[in-house]
Amino acid sequence: MLCILVGFCLQEAVVSRTTSTAIPRSTVATMAATRRNVLRGIGLSGLAVGGASLLAACGGDSGPATGSGATVKFGINEAEGVGAAHDRLAAIAKAYQQESGTTVDLNAVDHNTFQESINTYLQGTPDDVFTWFAGFRMAQFAEAGLITDLSDQWPIDGLNDSFKQAATAPDGKQYFVPISYYPWAVFYRKSVFEKNGWAPPSTNDDFMALMDDMQGKGVTPFAFGDKDGWPAMGTFDILNMRLNGFDFHMSLMAGDEAWDGDEVKGVFDTWRKLLPYHQADPLGRTWQEAATSMGKGECGMYLLGTFVVDALGENGEDLDFFTFPELDSSIGSDALDAPIDGFCVASAGQNQDAGKAMAKWLGSAAAADAGNNAADAPFIAANEGASTSTYSDLQKKSAEVVGAAANIAQFMDRDTNADFANTVMIPSIQAFLKDPDDIDGVTASIQEQANSIFG
Amino acid sequence: MTTGTAVAAPPATKDTAPKRREGGVMSKRRGTVATVIMALLALAWLFPLLWALINSFREYAYTQANGYLSFGGWTTSNYEQAWTQANFGLHMKNSLLITIPAVLLTLLLSSMVAFVLARFSYRFNLALLGVFLAANLLPPQALLIPVFRMFREVPLPLFMSDSGSMLNSFWALILVNTAFQLGFCTFVLSNYMKTLPHEIYESAELDGASVWRQYWQLTMPLVRPALAALATLQVTWVYNEFFWATVLIQQGDKLPVTSALNNLRGQFFTDTNLVAAGSIIVALPVLVVFFALQKQFVSGLTLGSTKG
Repeated sequence: MLCILVGFCLQEAVVSRTTSTAIPRSTVATMAATRRNVLRGIGLSGLAVGGASLLAACGGDSGPATGSGATVKFGINEAEGVGAAHDRLAAIAKAYQQESGTTVDLNAVDHNTFQESINTYLQGTPDDVFTWFAGFRMAQFAEAGLITDLSDQWPIDGLNDSFKQAATAPDGKQYFVPISYYPWAVFYRKSVFEKNGWAPPSTNDDFMALMDDMQGKGVTPFAFGDKDGWPAMGTFDILNMRLNGFDFHMSLMAGDEAWDGDEVKGVFDTWRKLLPYHQADPLGRTWQEAATSMGKGECGMYLLGTFVVDALGENGEDLDFFTFPELDSSIGSDALDAPIDGFCVASAGQNQDAGKAMAKWLGSAAAADAGNNAADAPFIAANEGASTSTYSDLQKKSAEVVGAAANIAQFMDRDTNADFANTVMIPSIQAFLKDPDDIDGVTASIQEQANSIFG
Repeated sequence: MTTGTAVAAPPATKDTAPKRREGGVMSKRRGTVATVIMALLALAWLFPLLWALINSFREYAYTQANGYLSFGGWTTSNYEQAWTQANFGLHMKNSLLITIPAVLLTLLLSSMVAFVLARFSYRFNLALLGVFLAANLLPPQALLIPVFRMFREVPLPLFMSDSGSMLNSFWALILVNTAFQLGFCTFVLSNYMKTLPHEIYESAELDGASVWRQYWQLTMPLVRPALAALATLQVTWVYNEFFWATVLIQQGDKLPVTSALNNLRGQFFTDTNLVAAGSIIVALPVLVVFFALQKQFVSGLTLGSTKG
């Protein structure tokens, strides 16, 4: 408003300076009046702005921080109507309101918009508590000072050390409270495996034999689609963890290892050899289409997260999974991707104390139960005290498998710089899938870009 | 495009008609070729829209199992589901609350500037018009950070915006849209106002009409066609605006309908047929405006092109 008024004022100034030339008399008369009005307008709007800042200043910190009469703003990354994912979070918010007496002001934004505008969100007027991911993505914001140190809320009952580790930024403090996770594994149709007499492989030899047998029977061993860009990251992650080990994988993700070294080249080389066992032309296929071809039995297996069930439009009773088998016996197969979802407190939130208190509660078994009891599909709770009675067979097995894993990664786009994952790795992996023989070119290009991003 | 010239054309066509038959710009053969090319281009443009329309009436499970080239699985449930799931009622209201004030404000302010630019000859007129147009050429993305930071620092009383600042309020979107549309509207309106005969103003002057009166009671009624055309264009542009709403609004229940379309996408899973139905619903108001006010649209596009 102010700018517009000032704009007019300038215009008026221009007008009055040139009065003598071409303006009719009446114009001059009205102009003088108008100029006065404009100036008065500016004065008034100045007052309005000043007054507004006063009002805003009083608005923030009246009343108690927590308990009845207090309000905590809770931003969630699931829009109303998408189903269980939103219903769980809404039920959790409601349960907290009942239990603590603090009014929970829910702000539901759809997942993709929330994620894409997270930077402006945190620097603008964020909610006190918001849904976020563990790993590098959280650490980035911790380093930038955009999220609040929660180390005074830890330890939280029922959350074990590996979750505490996942909630810790490089400065050694916790900035995150986990609530749920899901594993990435090799999914298959039970009925298809039964009919063909196949069994989940435990060694590399079993694995190769199984894939050859599938091809012999006219079934493509692996469903594969990478039109979306991110699904193939899961394949890279698991191959890297199987061939080079978890520690190498994590430091590679952090930018501390060479992308054009023999280790990464070895990963792409193994991948190249496995590609004939995958569906051809993955760049033209979304993960949903790939999942459908596994569901129809055209493909034997699909390496994906448990959300594969969503694309099949069924409850997953005919689905089972196994963790990706070992490729190198000295490395083993005890690491996997299992992204953890949870909550952070925004530094720019207005009610820090309420935010922290709520974040701690969100890590409790009660929070997980409140969510799982309210929705038709439960998540796998991070808290070991949470009830597992609503879990499907797939989820019970997921909890077991993840519990047994020695090392858990978060998935590439959460374990590394988001810019690197999205602008470098997506096109690079797609370039590799288009031309699997140019491994040197792809790795050199990744390293070059990694240099400029990780510095 | 053609209706604008058609009005002026009748006397001219009589003279040129015989020439054309002898093989002018549009001989019969050329005409056929042109028609075929245009039909093909129109089809190429319409294809994605029709494709979305057709598939919005099909079940996801059916198309996923049989492929999109199959035929069947007809349903209207996508539309019902899209409407309730994305909460379009609320978001349509938000869009209205943003679009209508923004369009009115744009037209009011730009007509004022245009009036001064067209009716008075100051040395700075051209420069001023240039500044207005130059600002129009800046891509909004380039201004994202300055505008975002500026709005964050501008406090609003809580009854105007519950976030206490310009962020997360309709005011921000109304102002941003107004600012970005001002240049174009000023340009068009000033050109249109220049075509009004000068004599009218001289006689108004003689009758003692003040400048305000010349603007409000003389010019505004005369430029009504231009205002109508611009209003039509502006409504569609502001309604379709996606970028600023996504950046400046962070509260889910304040998003306009274009941004709310994302509500139909899940974290991983997207029912594309449902999104197609949602997109059709969102595009519908624009289509209605377009078909109902087609004449204004065309004259809006050619407005000011005859005299610059």
